Amino acid sequence: MVTVACDAKGPAAAEPFIAAARQEHPSLIDEKLLVAELYDVRNVPAAFWIDENGHMVRANDPIYAQRRNRETGEVTINHEYLDAVRDWVAKGSGSGYVMDEKRLDSRLPDLETDDMRAAAFFQLGTYLAQHGLPADAVAYFKRAHALRPQNWTYKRQAWSLGDIERDYSTTFQEAVKDPASGPFYPDLDLAKRST
Amino acid sequence: MATVLYQGGEASVDEARPEAGELWLTLPELSAATGWELKPEGVCKDEICVPVPAARQAALIRADLFNLTEFARMIEQSFAGDDTHGVWYFGPPGWEWKSRLASKDAPDFTLPDLAGTMHSLSELRGKKVFLLFWASW
Repeated sequence: MVTVACDAKGPAAAEPFIAAARQEHPSLIDEKLLVAELYDVRNVPAAFWIDENGHMVRANDPIYAQRRNRETGEVTINHEYLDAVRDWVAKGSGSGYVMDEKRLDSRLPDLETDDMRAAAFFQLGTYLAQHGLPADAVAYFKRAHALRPQNWTYKRQAWSLGDIERDYSTTFQEAVKDPASGPFYPDLDLAKRST
Repeated sequence: MATVLYQGGEASVDEARPEAGELWLTLPELSAATGWELKPEGVCKDEICVPVPAARQAALIRADLFNLTEFARMIEQSFAGDDTHGVWYFGPPGWEWKSRLASKDAPDFTLPDLAGTMHSLSELRGKKVFLLFWASW
């Protein structure tokens, strides 16, 4: 298992979570969000399964292993997904949870020129915010959001580096309802393929 | 004076001249900031040489200055510049980002952990990898 924190605030932001999880696997920090760009991570969490040959067999699963209800404190464990992972560990390419090329294609859309323009604006904004210029970053984040409204990473990262209401004249609830943004997460498609 | 962010790297270029949204660098600055070099065959880096058609010579090269933003357009590389602070970001060229994930090969990467130790995905070849992206936001 490898986790990647795609977080412009870097190690300082990731550390409390990594420490609390007491993980034994590599917990890596993607402070420039360039690896997130490589995998086209449009929101987090996003899980990818990679086989022994370095080939992706599942992509962009929006999953948590467990969730804590903020009000009740109750922890729900995502047994179904964890069982799917165990099935893959045991059976490899024989697991019904492994996706074929066609299903994977739908989860990994080809990038267009405007997507890369959005990525460039996002990177410029991130750099400025990380170098003491968060107010100057806003204009570039806005351009990224306009060019690629379905990318929630760009929005959520930008909001966390400023003030969503002051800088972006919106609220989280309103932003999520905007039809141009599409769904917040892709479906979690745990349907087993016919083997 | 400009800061050029090029494919994950960062370089200060003292002589660089932004001009009407275009970024002109001296040839040594081009090489230092991007790894590209101007050769008779064209603009070259590692095993790649991009030929410069005659019609584009003037837009690209002028009195020992190289137009990095024009070159970016030629190689379908997105860029974004901030005039106020002289910061220019350049993304991957077209041959790197187009159909990047079409083969479904997981792109290799190298990142640090909290202790600063670097780890690469390719080190895990031969094992199944569950790769999870998350954030504090």
